Amino acid sequence: MRVAVIGLGAVGARAARQLVSTAAVDEVVIRDLRGERVEEVRASLGPSARAEHPPFAGPPAADAVVLAHPAGDHAAVAAELVEAGTAVVSAADAMADTEALLDLGPVADARGVPVVVGAGFSPGLTCVLARHAAADFDRVDEIHVAKVGTGGPACAHQHHRSLGAAAVDWRDGGWQRRAGGSGRELCWFPDPVGAEDCYRAALPDALLLANAFPGVERVTARRAANRRDRFTARLPMLRKPHPEGGVGAVRVEVRGRRGERRDTRVLGAMDRPAVAAGAVAALAAVFAVDGRVRRAGAAGLADLVDPVPFLAALAERGVRAAVFEGADTV
Amino acid sequence: MFRRALVALGVAGAIAAALRARGTGGVPPQSGGWRELSGPDLR
Repeated sequence: MRVAVIGLGAVGARAARQLVSTAAVDEVVIRDLRGERVEEVRASLGPSARAEHPPFAGPPAADAVVLAHPAGDHAAVAAELVEAGTAVVSAADAMADTEALLDLGPVADARGVPVVVGAGFSPGLTCVLARHAAADFDRVDEIHVAKVGTGGPACAHQHHRSLGAAAVDWRDGGWQRRAGGSGRELCWFPDPVGAEDCYRAALPDALLLANAFPGVERVTARRAANRRDRFTARLPMLRKPHPEGGVGAVRVEVRGRRGERRDTRVLGAMDRPAVAAGAVAALAAVFAVDGRVRRAGAAGLADLVDPVPFLAALAERGVRAAVFEGADTV
Repeated sequence: MFRRALVALGVAGAIAAALRARGTGGVPPQSGGWRELSGPDLR
């Protein structure tokens, strides 16, 4: 199979690296607006990578395309690819991109093309963990997602913007807008990250999870932040973002019913966010091409993949999920 | 005027202290821990 990656930042370069080391992938086409970056990544990937330089005549010719460029126009690029009958995997973590990509659902469905929305660390791995945890329940009542850490500069910008924008919580069958930076909750992440104060932010996880779990009563998403993050969230970034953040983590708490009994299951993962996001995006592309997604149309990974083989394949790539055991809640 | 300003500052400080102290969670887990999913968990 041939897979293309658009955008060679921290996530896109990792996704391309994952793809060239996948036996089923014959060729990886890489694109970025920065010519020197394309050459740098191509040189590091070996002979199965082919570089394409701007200006681009049209969408890349591939069986699947991973969109890993900065947020803003993922839906426009995805629309072109859907029209061409190409599977799309978007690593976007912005609300606007997620909503616009989900709107492509009917067209993608009609074309028989899967559009995997939010295939990163969070959303992405969080959606797979939520689906895996939900298998323990007869009925899922609540899903609460939290994340800590950022990948590359685009992710850091998104982190900054999300704390200053309105968050959306799914509650009792409707969306509630809440102020970003509100709703402090202390969350325990897999070691060595440990406890972090987390706040509401404009995160798309709830959009994807509420769609994937019909009948769920509450879905929330929070991210770790410090006082400076919250204080400066509505200002331009005061410092240039780091090339790549350190270790991050995600945590998914699913509450539901098993028979008459209410129970809680908490899953998580710890890794560098860009590394995990690249692995998730690459694996989603492979699943999309080899027919391991459940259906055509636009949706998150909770809707599209069987979590057990997906998590097993991720573990082989070094991204390991964990479960919290021994207490009702963390 | 000076007394009013002091009172206002005091009230603001009390509200800030109450908000700072308030929060959810905060009690570390007393038992249990994280275990990597492997083998039977992923079959």
